[in-house]
Amino acid sequence: MMSVETEIRFKLNGREVSLKVPVAMKTLAMLRDKLGMTGTKYACGEGECGACTVEVDGRTVNSCLMYAVDCDGRELVTIEGLRTPEGLHPVQQAFVDHGAVQCGFCMPGMIMQAKNLIENNPGLTREEAQRGLEGNLCRCTGYTKVLDAVEAVVSGKSCGSRP
Amino acid sequence: MQETATASPTVKETLIGQRVRKPDAPDKATGKTRYINDMVLPQMLIGKVLFAGRPHARIVRIDTGAAQKLPGVHAVLTGKDVAELRFGFVRDNVALKDKVRCEHDEIAAVAAETEEIACRALELIEVEYEDLPGVFSPEAGAREDAPQIHDRFPGNKSLAFEFRHGDLAAAEAASELIVDNVFRPHHVTHCCMGTSCAIADFDHNGKLTIWTQTQYPYNYKMDLAPALGIHPGDIRVIQPPVGGAFGSKLDVYPYEPIAALLARKTGRPVKVMYSREEEFKASPTRQAAIIHMRTGCTRDGVLTFRTADVLLDNGAYTSWGPTIPVIMMRTTSGHYRVPVVDFKAQAIYTNNPYAGSFRGYGNVQTTWATAQQMDMLAEMVDIDPLEFHLKNAQRSGEVTPQRSFLRECALVECLETAATASDYSRKRKEYAALRDAPGRYKKGIGLASSIHNAGGAKIHKSDGIGTILKMDDYARVTVITGASEIGQGIDAVITLIVAEELGVPLEHVTLVNNDSDVAPWDVGVHASRTTFIAGNGTRRAARKAKAQILNAAAKMLEESPEDLDLRAGSVVRNTDGAALIKLERVLRQMHFQAEPELVMVTDYYEPKSEPEGAAHVSDHSAAYSHAVHIAEITVDTLTGEIKVDKVTVAQDVGRVINRMGLEGQIEGGLAIGLGYALSEDMRIENGMLKNACFRDYKLITAPEMPPLDLHFIESHCAEGPYGAKGISELPTIVIAPAIANALYNATGVRIFDPPMSPEKVARAIFERCAPAGSGAVEPRLAGTAA
Amino acid sequence: MSETSEKISAYLAPRRLDEALQAMADGDATVFCGGTDLAPQTESGARQYQAKLLNLRRIEGLCGIDTGGGEIRIGAATTISDLRRNAPLAAIAPALVEAAEHFASEQIRNAASVGGNLCNASPAGDMSPPLLVLGAAVELACWRDRAVQVRRVPLEAFFVSPGKTVRRPEELLTAVVFERPADGFVSRFRKSGPRPALEISTVSVALGARIADGRLSGVRVALGSVAPTPLRARHVEAALEGRPLDATTIAAAVAATADDARPIDDVRASAWYRGHLVRVFVEEVLNDVRRD
Repeated sequence: MMSVETEIRFKLNGREVSLKVPVAMKTLAMLRDKLGMTGTKYACGEGECGACTVEVDGRTVNSCLMYAVDCDGRELVTIEGLRTPEGLHPVQQAFVDHGAVQCGFCMPGMIMQAKNLIENNPGLTREEAQRGLEGNLCRCTGYTKVLDAVEAVVSGKSCGSRP
Repeated sequence: MQETATASPTVKETLIGQRVRKPDAPDKATGKTRYINDMVLPQMLIGKVLFAGRPHARIVRIDTGAAQKLPGVHAVLTGKDVAELRFGFVRDNVALKDKVRCEHDEIAAVAAETEEIACRALELIEVEYEDLPGVFSPEAGAREDAPQIHDRFPGNKSLAFEFRHGDLAAAEAASELIVDNVFRPHHVTHCCMGTSCAIADFDHNGKLTIWTQTQYPYNYKMDLAPALGIHPGDIRVIQPPVGGAFGSKLDVYPYEPIAALLARKTGRPVKVMYSREEEFKASPTRQAAIIHMRTGCTRDGVLTFRTADVLLDNGAYTSWGPTIPVIMMRTTSGHYRVPVVDFKAQAIYTNNPYAGSFRGYGNVQTTWATAQQMDMLAEMVDIDPLEFHLKNAQRSGEVTPQRSFLRECALVECLETAATASDYSRKRKEYAALRDAPGRYKKGIGLASSIHNAGGAKIHKSDGIGTILKMDDYARVTVITGASEIGQGIDAVITLIVAEELGVPLEHVTLVNNDSDVAPWDVGVHASRTTFIAGNGTRRAARKAKAQILNAAAKMLEESPEDLDLRAGSVVRNTDGAALIKLERVLRQMHFQAEPELVMVTDYYEPKSEPEGAAHVSDHSAAYSHAVHIAEITVDTLTGEIKVDKVTVAQDVGRVINRMGLEGQIEGGLAIGLGYALSEDMRIENGMLKNACFRDYKLITAPEMPPLDLHFIESHCAEGPYGAKGISELPTIVIAPAIANALYNATGVRIFDPPMSPEKVARAIFERCAPAGSGAVEPRLAGTAA
Repeated sequence: MSETSEKISAYLAPRRLDEALQAMADGDATVFCGGTDLAPQTESGARQYQAKLLNLRRIEGLCGIDTGGGEIRIGAATTISDLRRNAPLAAIAPALVEAAEHFASEQIRNAASVGGNLCNASPAGDMSPPLLVLGAAVELACWRDRAVQVRRVPLEAFFVSPGKTVRRPEELLTAVVFERPADGFVSRFRKSGPRPALEISTVSVALGARIADGRLSGVRVALGSVAPTPLRARHVEAALEGRPLDATTIAAAVAATADDARPIDDVRASAWYRGHLVRVFVEEVLNDVRRD
């Protein structure tokens, strides 16, 4: 009763991956159920919340809508791929420092989107960040601290919180 | 952010009021945190639930034969497997139903090797229904000839509440001005980003381990046990990280016993997790109500009485929703100085979804009414609403008719601070004068306030918390506490308090708070209580440990314990702060000396509050607090869209503990209130939810979030930890009526049934402006466009 | 979840158009580009998979925006983000880029294609009204007589009903084309909702016309979400065509919306509100043009 499978190869967080996936499987399910990468979250499955945001060839998409087969030959970055040998990615660190993380469930997607916005627009304003994050729902924070964190990354300022 | 008060200076650097990060934030920000939704256990089966998909019906026949035979299916359960296992406050619920009473009634459940197989099995279950006439509003349910929903509850009557105080007839006679309105707060739902999920597993001694998102792990056992027919003592509750809760996990909901029943039947762990659509349909709502409220005052603007006659849409079953009058009556009787009160509430069973608790519990609904009536009365008296509020505001030491003792009351300070910061009085006059001038876009400003319990609420026999604190040979501290973490940040608060008391680095504190077999009892995370209650519990435990350590250190150093303190990882002399010995050395010496001792202390903290009681006359919280919101908005009078330009908040927080966490709670709570006010709306037609998705159920998004100007008033609560009060519900409670009052200021229209959606606002403005019966839009358009 | 993925017997990701069209020749292919509509529709059971699942993303020449000639051509696989960021197109057809600006979210815009949005044939489809006022046509290609055959269908004749178009199962929408607007062409797009995007429009209005000496000519007005398909508002157009753009004309155009819009009550809005918004937006875009 499963759909037919096909073999795909792609780059995931810098490493070559090849695996067989059912052709109707979505990238989110592939990441979570096939690859055990649960950092990317399911929260709506309809592209309305952004919790499953990943980067594909440098652009963010909702992985719940993307057919896994379409990953073939492309380059994916997930939340697990942001960490550097030095520690957290600057955007992740800013989210931690500014109290942008409460329950944190939407944060992997939010951070992926924020990182992409900042990389593509080094002079990102608060208003542009608000627009750019419109596809990422958060029920805990009211977005204020998220935007504070994004602003801090852009301006290079810290907020002096304690670990 | 304004800091309105600071602690008196001490030689010691204090962490109280600083910005402290959540200890779990790095793992959450990197995707490392394993939420319950991410968990997979060896041998785990997937459970799926068959929902009725109709509001009221008799089940004529269920055939599960084909589903049972499907390869990969391990169990199929129906109502006949659980017939006598009733649960809920009034035992009106059961995990799998023998009759359909609402759209999401659970009819059958399957455990299978994969989700795909489980879904296929559900499709193979044949159910024959005989639809029954339904009840879709409390008014309809209260009618004599209404269809009966539960045999045991004649007249569809669920819970009822009453509170009376003072001579109403005399108060009415003395009232020169009376407002009289019907408010209809609507159904909204929590929308936790992590959907509902439970994993259950039985061992061979019959003990159940349930991994779940519950906010109240201890009473949860008591509530879950009857749904399974087991003893509460045979349940172990484990709380992995959750994707939000907001009150939605303060009761047992059927998916939890279903997971356990399937686990018992199969002998394997079973996970039940909702899809977003299932979450919308099957998780609890905020209680919908019809509030007929009257408030009177003298021509001088002194409140004389308030009455509320409340009809609650109970929905099909009784969870926390219909208990909200406990708080509604506190607001009705205590929101400003109301000498005479008459409150009654009746919940009526309907075939609609049923309500649980939701941040702001009852007070969101009541304040929607009281805060608008305050605004209306001020206009009738013809004084600035600020002045009207001030005239009727309670002061410290006052007692409300229900005996809420306002020991430290900062309402006046909240009102004055918010009004000054926003330039309220000037703007209100200016905008009102422009209301009927030409122009499509109108500005408005609105003020609202409320009161809420801020030191727990003793609705159970105890409102206490158990704490165990232990230290190891390296001066690492472990706090084992009943306090649940659902994202709100009690982890940071407890860490901060331990570090403050014991002088250890924040990162040397570990929290164990997610296993009912390990951590001691607590009521649960609700009622804005956790910083207050768990903060006190932690502080008391830490002080016991500190006393033990200082006594031991004093002996070692031949000093007096009163002259010693713990700072920066050392025992120091109080007078000059000189470090005398490393803390970890003291701990090792204590441990390995001739008469060895370990630092491991216990504490049970019970707040000084009175049980709610059947008469509802009691000082049921250890503290009360106020908040004032002033909303500034721009209304597009043609499309009806409201843009919130700014919100000024002044809230009595008692004392700031973790400034960053406090801001986050206020910002986030306010966003939930904004959604309630403007866009969130469960569209339930004949018992069926029509917008079970984020596309049509609209949460506030980042671009809609206004700038906030937060002011923390520090009233220094004597009973609170370091003076703190509970804070997290008021931001959700106050914002909606502030916007409603701003809408009136801008346009002269009032909305009584939230949300203030563009369509509702446009229609109200259109009807106010178009000549009655003319049906024309042209005059209005020509007059206001461009 | 009632996915029908077990019906799929083959997955194809061809690089050439003719390969794709040959695979579609039997009319048994489900095609996708970004998957942003197909994925949720199949997941909910609203749509069924067919025997072949065909990924259009790898077909060369199917995406890209050609603004060089007298005819503007937008490849079907062009994403909404590509459209939004295309500066020449913004100069030629600002209403189209404006619609892209208010389309769903960044993540959806990065995946969703122009062709997919049209083929989905939602009455609320954001691309339709601005393309209708540009007089756009779609190219439908198929494999017949051992060759690629292409026919052009004016966009206004393309939509049949919600989710239905005149595209035949063996046909693929390959491009949307429109004539480069003449000098003096103005266009506007307006969509309802307090959110800047991420909003299924309750109502959308697009206007395209030439303006000279205060008069509109070649007027096209298109409405979204007020009928089973996106539509041209012929009565509104007639009220405007050749007339001086003054208060009287605008009032007549606003009044004429009642003859074009056939809104319904649904979960998102009442018919009254939709009708009201159409009037408001038609007046607004006309006043906006008048002011410039």
